[in-house]
Amino acid sequence: MAQRDIDRVIIGCNKGDEGCFTQLVDMYGRRCFGYFYRLTGSRDLSDELLSELFVKLVEKIGTYRGGSFDGWIFTMASNIFHDHLRFKQRQTRLLDEHSRRIKSQSSGVASGYDGDADKMQKALGELDSDVRELVMMRFYSQMSFREIAESRREPIGTILSKVHRGLKRLRELMG
Amino acid sequence: MNNSANENLRELLAGFMDEAAARQTAEDIEKGEEILGAYSAPQPDERVLAEVKKNVVVAVRRRRTVIFQRRILGAAVAAAVIVVSALVLMRYGNPPNSQQARVVAKSVLIPSRVWEGADDADVTVLKAEIDNIQNELSGAQSDDTSGNGGTAVGDLETELIEINGDMWKG
Repeated sequence: MAQRDIDRVIIGCNKGDEGCFTQLVDMYGRRCFGYFYRLTGSRDLSDELLSELFVKLVEKIGTYRGGSFDGWIFTMASNIFHDHLRFKQRQTRLLDEHSRRIKSQSSGVASGYDGDADKMQKALGELDSDVRELVMMRFYSQMSFREIAESRREPIGTILSKVHRGLKRLRELMG
Repeated sequence: MNNSANENLRELLAGFMDEAAARQTAEDIEKGEEILGAYSAPQPDERVLAEVKKNVVVAVRRRRTVIFQRRILGAAVAAAVIVVSALVLMRYGNPPNSQQARVVAKSVLIPSRVWEGADDADVTVLKAEIDNIQNELSGAQSDDTSGNGGTAVGDLETELIEINGDMWKG
């Protein structure tokens, strides 16, 4: 998608144009849903997080200061996912669930959430949560490694190493 | 789905390892991403996307209302500063015409209809402060007749100027 088109839509959003916001849903909704789905394994939860993301985008659009809009929106998606994890962790502690269930849910992937988890979802569940999130961020956001490193405030070498490790393991699991 | 067009992966990796290792690592990454592409995640239902759009439109309209309220509030606070300044001037400049001042102050300081239904947290806090100052102003105007009015109104003016500053800072 041309940067010029994105810029035009964002200018409209900053003016409060409803049509431009719904255009952003068309432009990014499917990718963001895929990102959430691969991290949570749940359609229902991904629907909720997607809605939360775009409502938050309405509030925060004025803070976008140029640069990669993909990076900006996926950083916000990542924050929303982490807020969800914190909420789940608190809830899990309160409910004092079984320890295995705690581990599974707090890592963000519940491969059996909807009972429709595919092979890829199961393989992703085998990765460390941090590595899995980085791999998904890289794949769905189309951000460069440099952008991911900036967004996560981690050295680029660390990001490269984690993504490499994760994708190599994924190949083994899927092979 | 990837890739990050402006990035030369092999070149980037070469900064961390020798050429052969960089080539191997880049290949691992590319093949891993190919597998991810081959097993794409399910798509959201169109019904869900329509619902998201509906929620977004509601959020945009709500935001528009809040911005409007903030602008009105800013104008009200600025007007309040002017009124209190005028009260101070009248107090120290000319013999006070208290009845007239009260009428002017109340007409400017009670924009209550504007705030009905306000649910933005900042607006609510500022509204509470305006109400508080309005009460203080009434008190100060009462004191005016007993001789304390000059100090009280002066304090009030300082407070309003501070709030006005906060308002424009957002």
